[in-house]
Amino acid sequence: MTDAAMELINVKKTIGNKEIIKGLSFSINKGEVFGFIGPNGAGKTTTIRMMVGLMQLTDGDVRILGKSIKTDYKKAVREVGAIVENPEMYPFMTGAQNIDHYARMIPGITKERIKEAIHIVGLENALNEKVGKYSLGMRQRLGIAQALLHRPSVLILDEPTNGLDPAGIREIRQYIRKLAEEEDVAVIVSSHLLTEVELMCDRIGVLKNGELVATQAVNDSSTNTNQHSEVSMEVSPADKALELLKKDYEMDVVHQNGSLTFKWDKEKIPELIKFLVSHEVSIFQVSVSKSTLEDKFFDLIGENTIE
Amino acid sequence: MSNLFHLIYNELKKLYIQKSSKIMYIVLGVIILGIAIVSNSVGNLGEQYEQENWREVLQEENKELTQEMEDKEAFQGMNTAQIEKNNYYLEQDIQPVSYGAWQFVMENEMLLSVVSLLTIIVAAGIVANEFRWGTIKLLLIRPITRTKILLSKYITVLLFALFTLVFVLVFSWIIGALFFGIEGIDPKVVLDQGDGLAYVSVINEIITGYGYKLVNLVMMATFAFMISSVFRNSTIAIGLAIFLMMAGNQIVLFFAERSWSKYILFANTDLSQYANGNTSLIEGMSLGFSITVLLVYYAVFLLLSWLFFTKRDVAGS
Ligand SMILES: Nc1ncnc2c1ncn2[C@@H]1O[C@H](COP(=O)(O)OP(=O)(O)OP(=O)(O)O)[C@@H](O)[C@H]1O
Ligand SMILES: [Mg+2]
Repeated sequence: MTDAAMELINVKKTIGNKEIIKGLSFSINKGEVFGFIGPNGAGKTTTIRMMVGLMQLTDGDVRILGKSIKTDYKKAVREVGAIVENPEMYPFMTGAQNIDHYARMIPGITKERIKEAIHIVGLENALNEKVGKYSLGMRQRLGIAQALLHRPSVLILDEPTNGLDPAGIREIRQYIRKLAEEEDVAVIVSSHLLTEVELMCDRIGVLKNGELVATQAVNDSSTNTNQHSEVSMEVSPADKALELLKKDYEMDVVHQNGSLTFKWDKEKIPELIKFLVSHEVSIFQVSVSKSTLEDKFFDLIGENTIE
Repeated sequence: MSNLFHLIYNELKKLYIQKSSKIMYIVLGVIILGIAIVSNSVGNLGEQYEQENWREVLQEENKELTQEMEDKEAFQGMNTAQIEKNNYYLEQDIQPVSYGAWQFVMENEMLLSVVSLLTIIVAAGIVANEFRWGTIKLLLIRPITRTKILLSKYITVLLFALFTLVFVLVFSWIIGALFFGIEGIDPKVVLDQGDGLAYVSVINEIITGYGYKLVNLVMMATFAFMISSVFRNSTIAIGLAIFLMMAGNQIVLFFAERSWSKYILFANTDLSQYANGNTSLIEGMSLGFSITVLLVYYAVFLLLSWLFFTKRDVAGS
């Protein structure tokens, strides 16, 4: 037995003759928050639509707690709560009426559970207002409440931070962490903004043009930064320093207004300073910017172009 | 089963909570009230036949009708029919009942085309609107098959038709009773039955009259429902269904010469063409034939709705 809550096996989607998803395989474990990152049009929403059975798979399979979305749809989808793209609700009904509507569709949802879900997203005070009058953030919250109602094992949130204010994002982030850690829920959060989900994710998968180009555990990112630290040095004479670094260290150095910028291992900076000083280069300032996941993300997806 | 019950409850709630549904009933109510007011101010519905002298009242009425006919050509047809009826009462020595709630309900049978129209609008929107609102996504990602969701929507359309029909019957009866009084528990009147005059029960007439029209209503609503599921667009569904409802008879007439015209849906929707031993316009048609044709169309409509609703992807708009 594995701990996988959701498993994608070579999932493909072709619409017309355009291959939109090109064979995705990955799994998300119980209690794990998985960030599904990719630029516009990468195929995040399409993948999510297949995960919840809104779209048929051209090839491959999606298994939720081992149950196939293709052959065991009802049991598989029972374990999923989701918002797909915008959290659209019935505008002519109140928040409470919308939630009751979804609650009636799954047996065993108690009044207490409905209250609890509303409380989690902090929407108590707007419950009796028509959803048509809700702000985007309020609808997002109602959407999340709807997804939590039946205590799903897998929670799929397509751009949940869209429309939320910073306080709202922080609340949702905390709540998602709590769900994963305390209730062992597997959470999939899609976003094109890495910084927004980085803090809540255990692992990140980067999608580009329908392919998973990398998966990366978030905590690992700061340890293996060899060659990835960006170093800036204010030196004089700059030309001489540039010559030295290029000749002796074979580095790619950018020179701008007496300041040199290059990639270098942080551990070996003192050695570099000694070397320069011994060649009578004056150093006024050294700054090291830690390579973030963001840089790596941009490295991976390259130019942000939509095919 | 309780599951399906909950789904239907949801659908009815979504339908009736909308302002447009309330407006539908207000419009129907106003139409019924309007008919009552107009009937009350025009014509001689106020005649009373309860007294001993009902024969004289009838004869007096015939005289007036003849007089009116001579003055105005336009009244010829209507008045002749009325005089014939009156003579039937006199010849058979039947004391007529006065006009009242039951006959008002019977005459409002034509309102079923308004009910059809409203049901078409509801049927056209019930699937397409979920797509328009974007709510279809959250509706479908439940542990419920799409078939069951579609079924709950279709049943809701039929329930809407039923409720609206009951509204027309009950509201007409109440308005009729208020304006004209009640003419008994099971009144009988003389009516032209196509093959001559007959003395018939009004309630019977209401049941058969409304019943025959329901066939067309259900067929057109199912058609609109099918278009709505296939194209996911309520405007197309409403437009097509209403156009066909209006033009149906013309279509049949236009193709009447062709051998296949009897297979046209609208050649078969009026089952009253077989009542009282009438023979139909087109050769080779019988009650059994028409029912078979109707069932085939009905099955095709439902099958297409089901195929498109359950098999097609719910992709972005
Ligand atoms: N119904 C459709 N028919 C044809 N192509 C489609 C359809 N839906 C989506 N696509 C294409 O699939 C690709 C992926 O779209 P998708 O909505 O999954 O991207 P996304 O990663 O969610 O983007 P975003 O960040 O903008 O939400 C796009 O190139 C889009 O044009
Ligand atoms: Mg998307």
